[in-house]
Parts: sequence; C-alpha cells; structure tokens
Amino acid sequence: MTRELMISWFLLIAGGIGLVVLSATSEKGVGTIYVKPVPAANQVQTWTETQRTDSAAVFSPYRTAGVWLAAFLTLAVFSYLYKDNVFYKLAESMIVGVSAGYYLVANFWDSIVALLMTELTPQLVRNWALPSLSETKTVDPWFLVPLVLSLFLFCRFVPRLSWLARWPLAFVVGTFAGLRLVSILDADFISQIRSTIVPLIVLTNGSFNVWASIRNLGLLLSVVTCLAYFFFSVPHQGLFGKVSRVGVWVLMITFGASFAFTVMGRITLLTRRFEFLFIDWLRLIDP
Amino acid sequence: MRNVVPLVIAFVAGVTMMLALFVPVLQPLQERASVWFIILAAIAFLIGGTNLLLHHARKIAQQEAGWGFSAVTLVSFFITVFVGLAKWGVPPSDAYPNHPWSGNYITEGAPLWWLYQYIIDPVTSTMFALLSFYVASAAYRAFRAKNTEAMILLGTAFIVLLGRCSAGTFLTSWVPESLEALTFPGATAVIMAVFTTAGQRAIMIGISLGVAAISLRIILGLDRSYLGADE
Amino acid sequence: MRQVSKLLVAISFTASMWSNGAVAAPRPATDVTVTDRPNDAGTGLIVKWTLSPDDEESAGANRVVVYQIFRQVNGKPSEEPVAKLNAGNNEYSDSNCQSDAHYQYEVVAVAEDGETSAIATHAERIRPVVQWFDSSRTWVAVIVIFVCAAVIICTELAKHGWSTYVRPIAGLTAIDEAVGRATEMGRPMLFVPGIMDLDEIETVAGLTILSHVGEKAAVYDTPVEVPTARSLVMTAAREALEGAYLAAGRTEGFDEDRVYYVTDEQFGYVAAVCGWMSREKPAACFYLGKFFAESLVLAETGNACGAIQLAGTAESAQLPFFVAACDYTLIGEELFAASAYLSGEPQQLGTLKGQDVGKVLAVVLLVCGSLLATGAMISGRDSLAGRAHDYLMVHVLNKGVGG
Repeated sequence: MTRELMISWFLLIAGGIGLVVLSATSEKGVGTIYVKPVPAANQVQTWTETQRTDSAAVFSPYRTAGVWLAAFLTLAVFSYLYKDNVFYKLAESMIVGVSAGYYLVANFWDSIVALLMTELTPQLVRNWALPSLSETKTVDPWFLVPLVLSLFLFCRFVPRLSWLARWPLAFVVGTFAGLRLVSILDADFISQIRSTIVPLIVLTNGSFNVWASIRNLGLLLSVVTCLAYFFFSVPHQGLFGKVSRVGVWVLMITFGASFAFTVMGRITLLTRRFEFLFIDWLRLIDP
Repeated sequence: MRNVVPLVIAFVAGVTMMLALFVPVLQPLQERASVWFIILAAIAFLIGGTNLLLHHARKIAQQEAGWGFSAVTLVSFFITVFVGLAKWGVPPSDAYPNHPWSGNYITEGAPLWWLYQYIIDPVTSTMFALLSFYVASAAYRAFRAKNTEAMILLGTAFIVLLGRCSAGTFLTSWVPESLEALTFPGATAVIMAVFTTAGQRAIMIGISLGVAAISLRIILGLDRSYLGADE
Repeated sequence: MRQVSKLLVAISFTASMWSNGAVAAPRPATDVTVTDRPNDAGTGLIVKWTLSPDDEESAGANRVVVYQIFRQVNGKPSEEPVAKLNAGNNEYSDSNCQSDAHYQYEVVAVAEDGETSAIATHAERIRPVVQWFDSSRTWVAVIVIFVCAAVIICTELAKHGWSTYVRPIAGLTAIDEAVGRATEMGRPMLFVPGIMDLDEIETVAGLTILSHVGEKAAVYDTPVEVPTARSLVMTAAREALEGAYLAAGRTEGFDEDRVYYVTDEQFGYVAAVCGWMSREKPAACFYLGKFFAESLVLAETGNACGAIQLAGTAESAQLPFFVAACDYTLIGEELFAASAYLSGEPQQLGTLKGQDVGKVLAVVLLVCGSLLATGAMISGRDSLAGRAHDYLMVHVLNKGVGG
C-alpha cells in the first residue's frame, strides 16, 4: 500500500468517525432538514423548508438525504484539486447525466411546448399543460418553418440526405450574422466612440483644470494606441511599432485591473461553499 | 454544389436581418428569428441527447476504461428525463387545480427540483469555487514569466487589489492629499478611469469591426467552413 | 350606449349635487391632436392635448386626477378606455394600431369624485402611416454601409492583386507548432469551441479555426477531441471537421465520435472536459469561442497537463485569465481575423484591410470629436465648434436617440 493510499484511507476513516461522533453528539443535528406544510388552494400538500424550532416543523428524510449527497459531491469536486480520483469521476458522471437530462426537460417544457406547440396546436396545449393560454389563440403556420428546419438536422443520419442538415445551420448562422453585424456596430462601435469623445482642455468654473485635462488626453491617447496594436495591415516596426507597444501595455493594465476585480469575487464563491459545509451540513457554526 | 442552397439561405437570412434593423415593417422578424432559433436549438437537443446516450452506451458495451461511470451517467440521465417529462410529484398550479399538468416542472419538493437542488447546484457551485484556487496559481505563474507584459499585468493587479481594500488605504495614508494619485486607492481610481476604460473601449471597437467583417464574410459566402466540404 | 350611460351618470350626480350642494364636472382638456408616430410600421399614433384648466391644486374638489383615452377604430367605439393617464400628462402613444384602419381618440378628464368632463376630441379620423425607413437610424446606416463597403472594396482589390500583407499574429503561427508537438508526443489535441450556441459569432469563428486545425491534424493523423456544450455546435463542428479531413484527402481518418455533446450546463461541461484532460493528457489545447468563468478552470487544468495552449475570445472579462494562463492568446478582434489569416486567401485577407479602414474611421471620429469638444469647451456651446460637436454627438453618434 503506497503512502498516498494510506493517507487517503486514514482521512476517509477519520472523517467517517468524526461524522458519526458529530451526528451522535450534536444538538442541532448534522445535515438534518425540517419542513412545514404550505397551504395550497389546489388541495395538494406541498412542503417548504423551515427551522427545527418551528412548531410545524417535521423532519424530512428526503431533503436530509439530499443535503448529505450535496456535501459528498462538494467534497468530491474539491478533491480534484489534489488529483483526479474515483469520487470526482462519480461526481462528474452524475452532473453530466443529471444536467443533460435537466436541460432536455427544460427545453421540452419551455421551448417545444411553450413556444412551438402553442403556435401549432394551441387548443391541445391549453387543455393539457398551459390552461392560461388564451382561448382565442389561433394557429400560426409560420412556425412550421423551425419545425421543418429542425427535422432537416436529423437528415445527417441518412447518408443520401445528409446534405439537408446544412440548411438549418446556414439559416442560424446567416440570421445571426446579419443581426449581429448591425447591432454590434451600433452598440459597441458607435457608442464606445461616443463615450470616448472628451474635451482635451477642461475648464472648471472658467479656470483650466490640469488633472481633468491630462486624464482626458490620457484616455484618448490610450484608446488610439490600443487601436494601433489591433492594426493588421501595417507592420509593427519603427514609430508605429513603438505606438502599438504602448497599446499592448495599456491592454496589460486593463487585464491586470480586471484580474484584480475578479479575484475578490471568486473568493466569495469559495466562502459560500464553506458556509454550506460548515453551516448547512455540519452545523458547526451558527449562521 | 450542395452548399449552394445553404449559402443562398445564409445570404437571404443575413441581408433580411440587416435590413430589419432599419425597416420598421421588418423589425418583428428579429424577434421571430430569435424564437425560431430557440425552437430549433431545443429540437436539436434530441440529437445531442442521442449522441450522449450512444457515446456512453458504446463505452459500456465495449467495457472501455471507466465504463461504470458511463453507466452512472446514463442512469442519472434517464431518471432525470423521466421525472421531468412526467412532471412526477409536481402538483397542479394553484390557479388551475383541475389541470394536473399545469404545475411548474421545477416546483419545490418535486423530484426534479431535488435533483437540481442537491446535485446540479452543489457540483456547479463547487466547480465555480475552484476558481479561487486557480486564480492564485495563474497569478503565481504569470509572475514567474518575468517579461514586461506579465510584470505590468501583475503589478496593476497588485495595485488595484490593495486599492480596493482597507489595507491599501492604510499603507498609503501618510501620502498628502495633493498627491492622492500616488496612494493605492488614488492609483486604482486613475487606472480604472483612464487605462482600463481605454483598453476596454479599444477592445470593444476592435471586436465590433471583427464581428462585422466575419459576419459579412459569412453572408457573402467567403467563409463557409461551418457548412463542411462542398461536394 | 356609452354616451347614454354617461348621461345617466351625469344626471344622477347633478341630482345629488342639488341635494348636497356639491360641485359641477371638471372642465375638459382642449386642443386634442393626433399625429402619426414616426419611424414605425404604421402601428403607432401619438395623441396630445392641452391640460384641463382644472388640472391643478386650486381646482379644489373639481381637480382632475386622471385622463381617460377612448378610441374609435373605423368608427366603432371602445367600451372601455384604452388608457388612463395620471393628471399632468398630456400625451399618449398608442402602439396597437394597424396601418389599414382609421382612428379617432377622445380625451375625458375625471375628477377625484368620479365626475367626468365633456369629451374632447379632434376633427378628423387619422390613419397611421407606414415608414419604410427608420430615419432615426440614418447615421447608423451610413456607418454600417461605410464599414461594409470598406470590407467589400478591400476584398475586391485584394482579388486583383493589391497587397495583402497582414502582420504576424503569434497565436496563429503557433498552431503548426502545437499540432507538431501533439504528433511527436503521440497525444491527442483538445479543441473547445466555446460554451455558447451557434447564434454567437465567436462560436462560428471558433469553428472556422477548427477546420484549419483539423486539416493540419488530418495530415499528421493526430486525433482532435471536440467536446461541445450545444447540440447545434456539435452538428456544425462535425461538418467542419469532416470537411477539413476531406480537404486534406484523409477522409478515412475522420472519427465522428471524437466530436460529441456533453451537456448544456456550464460547469457540468467543464467538469467533464477537465476530467478528460486529466486522464488523456492532451499535448495541445485550443480554446476558441465564447467563454465565461470556466475559462480559467480549463486553462489551469491544461497547464497542469503540460499542454501548449492557444486561447481566443471576445469576452473582455475572460481575456486576463487566458493571457495569464495560456501560451498564446488571441485578443478580441484577432479571434475574428484568425479564419481569414489562416486561410491565406487574398479575398479573406482583404477583409482584414477593411477592418483596418474601420479603425481609421474610429480614430478620425475620436480625434475630430475630441477637438470639437475642446473647441466647444473653450468657445461655448453656441459657437461653430459647439454646434458641430452637438450634431456629431446627437445625430451622427446617436446620443440623443435611443439607438
């Protein structure tokens, strides 16, 4: 048995013993979830999570098992930081299967039923799943177009007809190429130029404001040097090369600042997972 | 030859959408195109789902390394799809109690909700949380690079990090107010107001031109690799 | 019917006024005008009126609290008001019109006690007009046409022998190195075309680079693994890669199963890809498309595997992580230029020149605009520089319009 395996077994056994002892001795209960009934007009009983001390609280083995599974999966993913292992692989395989299934379900109810079937078979959908749909809703035959295009995608599995699968791809790519071409020139090109146009001499209450003027000049020159870096047609040599070099430095400052901003946000994500483990699961810390 | 019709489709669709932003009568087409795309992508999911099934089923059938995990994937997938499509455990909505299928598929307490709450959410959140470790390792490696660009990037990150917390304010609290730009918070403000703003704007201007050019190449049929070979 | 009910209401209130000594109805709004809403498809009309003289505090109990707008469509009146606007408002924009119908609007002022004024209306029925061009976007159209014309003209000039010099882009020249490295080490390559769908231009840009990478990989018989997060992208990636293998004359080397769908869920996809990377240890990793927070997870995992990494995205929030963690990064516009650069075709390289013309336009607008802004600051808004600056900002660059 290698040292690594010995340490792994030791950690597992010690952790297991610790959990057993904590579960037996903890007053708050380790990873226990309580629920209370929710009054509903439709006579069907539903439950929502509540505190243990709530008078209507009932222990929920269903959600308690869920919390324990979530804690196990959290630790399994964290174990990937050390190296790939069987627990991470298990978590990975579960997330792929469950999330793919979830998105299939979401696509079916939110897109196929709510967007396509409501247009092609409104009465059927109204009687079945969406009773809030207007009674006067009529069939829109134009929605046969996306249905037919989608079916063309399946032609890829028929060798003689596989070329038909390109039609929906061309439709999607062409449509959004046209949409994005104009919208991005409006939203990014024009609006960014508009925001960058600033006076190079700033007067505040009639007198020359040195710092504001230098700031505005710096802003304009920085944008111009960065744009020089992105020039493709001119070799980056000589004076132009020096200008584009300054542009690279401005970009590096931009990336450094963005990096710093993001670091603090990422630490918050970690603290949230620790909160789940130590508060919601182990109940070691009072929230 | 077989790419001729798709190229025509791409051209017509692209030009129509370009015009739709200027011709009021065509403007509703934009929203319609977006809805059609959502439907197309949703139905296309069946292809992806089938591919997922076949990919893992083949691994199980051929007993490739790690086939047990493929079995876990398939079982998880089928259970999720079944409870979701059948709206198992989902009560009817309060407004329509006589319509058993009227409830929201992700209602609290339903099995699909349980799968999302206790499998999808914790795993994705924890993967997200790994970023805090990766940020540190990326910063360490970049610092070791020792070229001018890396030094500027890390130096700026250092200044901005300190400038946004009380430690940075404390460290340069002795600097007189007239030289505020030399303090960590002051330098951070200058970096954000001038250089970061300039860099972001230049990147966005460049991206907009790049998107415009590649979109035009696609519409005109110059760029057609997404269609595969022209047989 | 509505007129009769209003008359009955008026009579009963008048009777109660006599018994209680209460007040008369508020005075109506005046000067009701209806005009066609500009820049639409004949779906909008704008109703304006002069406020009722009783629309003020001093009107006391007669004070108007709300204006009700009634509409007649082709002479058929509506039972209920189509809009209710609080006092003080003198304009209503009706967006539910049709270009082949005639409309008449009536404005009724309503006091706090429910008393309604006489009806105020306009002289003639009006029909909305269809505008065939949104004139508020004229300058946007000019700029779009300029940029597109620049790209097309440069493409045509390149076809006819104009210089197609393009400066070297480090990341793209490294593709050969990456493929060669993978071939020597006998390890696969990983290509991630982003995590978004085919409606994103970055994804399309990534797929066009995939075809170039695939062609090189086909020549050296180096496997390329392409896990995707969207089914449509999987379909398009298979088409692109199969086409690449066909172009390289190595159709038999194409393995469709190496391009597969994982899951739509962002971090579920990342978990699977990182797991694959840890096990298969790719020699080269390409991340080209639209990425979000998962960019750093992928790049750091690739580093841990010792892979050479090339990344490119237009998401400026993710660029710092790619720059810090990858060997080569295509920054923003370089990602979109990559497919033209790699193709080497004069026509495509010409489009890069067109992009540069666009950048020249941007610099000219920036410099001229800033000089005009400086002149406006010194000479005042009413000077020539001030007026030119205002025109540039409000009309040309759409500041005053919701564009």
